[in-house]
Amino acid sequence: MRPPFPPFGFEQFSFGTELLFTIVAVFFCFEIYRKTHDSYELSRHKGIRYFRDAFLFFGLSYLVRFLFNPIMASVLDFDFVLPRGLMILLFLLPLGYFSTAAIFYLIFSSVWKRFDNKKMLMVGHGIAVLLPLASLLTGSRTILLYLQTALLLLAAVLSHFAPKGGGIKKLSQTRILYILISALWLINLWIVDRVRPSFFGVDLFFQVVSIIVFIVIYYKVSKWAK
Amino acid sequence: MNGKKRDRLEVISDILGIIRDSHNSIKPTPLLRKSNLSSSSFSEYYAELASKGFIKEITDGNGKRYVTLTDKGFKYLEKYGLIHGLIEEFEL
Repeated sequence: MRPPFPPFGFEQFSFGTELLFTIVAVFFCFEIYRKTHDSYELSRHKGIRYFRDAFLFFGLSYLVRFLFNPIMASVLDFDFVLPRGLMILLFLLPLGYFSTAAIFYLIFSSVWKRFDNKKMLMVGHGIAVLLPLASLLTGSRTILLYLQTALLLLAAVLSHFAPKGGGIKKLSQTRILYILISALWLINLWIVDRVRPSFFGVDLFFQVVSIIVFIVIYYKVSKWAK
Repeated sequence: MNGKKRDRLEVISDILGIIRDSHNSIKPTPLLRKSNLSSSSFSEYYAELASKGFIKEITDGNGKRYVTLTDKGFKYLEKYGLIHGLIEEFEL
């Protein structure tokens, strides 16, 4: 049974902030991608390529994330026209793929010198396909969140404890930003999942923090990509 | 060229800088000498720079070959500091 509708004003306000948040997040992601175009074209530096691809995928992830819930809510009423399973497939696969690839590319951008790049990319894309498939096969959207969280924790541990030359690498401001941007993606994915109760203040807080992180990264990129 | 191993982008910047500082016209042999690279490394970089369109070869009336920077080569030199800054800033 579907839960009763929330008060109209609240729902409208929540949709409005979601829309605004998505526009701002997608704008900054695509701007970071665009601004680093010249630097990559001139240098063909792999680190720059992975860095900008990460933001391209984050932008696409936030776009699909925004479209996911309104579409799912509407197909509940029109299941006979648009089979729900097909719609889940159409949205969950790209959502899972883009976001997992974004997290991977962010990790690749700082560890690419240490690994065979061809194998690293194959493994990354393979996992990015497998994660949403696992979510689809188990019939649970939440499993994608758990798997991405596990992946992020593993990546954070690996990049912290296995730097080039051994030892433990000091957590720099950039790495903190990388962890934040990935963790905030996961939190924002939780937020959009209307299965759990919505705490509007908490949702808004994380959205504002996400925007601040995007602005900080954009500002840092702008200094070097004029 | 301070004894520290140069990375790929720095070597490219050094080679292009030598050409620019030679009034944008230098023969391949002095370029090799000034670039402080082994002959094989220099050949690889030279081929890469030519294929990417950063440099081009011209031959004068006496059949002598000279290397010059293209617009893209000048643009790389102009942007090198920024590219290097971006790489350092984000630990790429």
